[in-house]
Amino acid sequence: MNIKAFFVEALTSALDLGIARPEDVVKHVTPDVLAQHLPRPLWARLLTACLGAPRVDAQLIVETIGVPNLAEHLPATIIWACIAEAGARSLGKQVDVHVAPAPLPVSTRPTPAPQPLTPPPPEVITSMPKATPPPMAAVGPSIPAPATGALADVISELETAEPSAPVRGRTPTSQRFRQSNTGIGRLGASQRRPQASATPSPLRTQRRGSTEVTDTESAEVVSPEIAVDDSQLVDWSTNENTHAGDDDFSDLGRKR
Amino acid sequence: MSQDQRQQWFARVVESGLQNQIFNPTDVLAHATPDVLATHLPAELLSKVLQASLAAGAMTPERVLETVTPELLAQHVPHEVLWACIAAAAARAGLTNVVVP
Repeated sequence: MNIKAFFVEALTSALDLGIARPEDVVKHVTPDVLAQHLPRPLWARLLTACLGAPRVDAQLIVETIGVPNLAEHLPATIIWACIAEAGARSLGKQVDVHVAPAPLPVSTRPTPAPQPLTPPPPEVITSMPKATPPPMAAVGPSIPAPATGALADVISELETAEPSAPVRGRTPTSQRFRQSNTGIGRLGASQRRPQASATPSPLRTQRRGSTEVTDTESAEVVSPEIAVDDSQLVDWSTNENTHAGDDDFSDLGRKR
Repeated sequence: MSQDQRQQWFARVVESGLQNQIFNPTDVLAHATPDVLATHLPAELLSKVLQASLAAGAMTPERVLETVTPELLAQHVPHEVLWACIAAAAARAGLTNVVVP
């Protein structure tokens, strides 16, 4: 006995011939029944169709799910209720048991079956709107807070970095490129050497060549400069290359 | 719903019920009794039934339904009778306890 095939044939032909209407089917195949018995993939198809349709009605539901799927997944008594109602109406009669209330076929089976079904949809529906506002409120304030904080930090770093450019500029570069830091310094010094060497003072050249090391040498260099530059200070102050050399040296660390 | 549509539907349901063994020819003739058939079938059809039975040497429900097809049943036999057959089969299958009289 292939009762499902019989159901499909009977119900399909009833719908095709106008013996039954989709509303008659949905009267028995209620959303609760579908929620209990219809597989999730078919639910996904049904939801997709409902979302894309301008109007959701019984015809859309029945056509989307399809009679074969209804007969396959729903209890036979429910499908039979649809067929029985169609047959009774075609004869001008009414099947009291099936026609009276929609949940009758369900109520004839187990009473607890429909009850657990009814709560879940409302819970999901009620929980959705309740859950929606809190995230909105939480997202609003939370977004600007870190953004302003981060921007403030960046701005403060930039502002503080400019005055203390040599300190902060060298520190990160030395941390990132420790091995190449000395090399970079030497490269920078070697690049600037021609400019320094172009200057008249040979002391400058020596000092720049050893600037990487420490301040002790600069102190050593400075002392002889003071003695020598008394007559040359004016020329050095007017010379932009010498100042650029000092500035460029500090810039080298920042650029790197 | 027109009479033609209802007739067509009953024909399909009866045919499907027979094909899917929801009920068998004996179940059909239990409702479409000889009296019912004799009352509602046209004379030509009754003649064919008798001729087929004579040729086969016996009249069985299967042979009757070979001649009186579901389409002819739905065309001539009252639909209430056919529905009673369908509903009784459903009740036997445990689908419902209610049988439309």
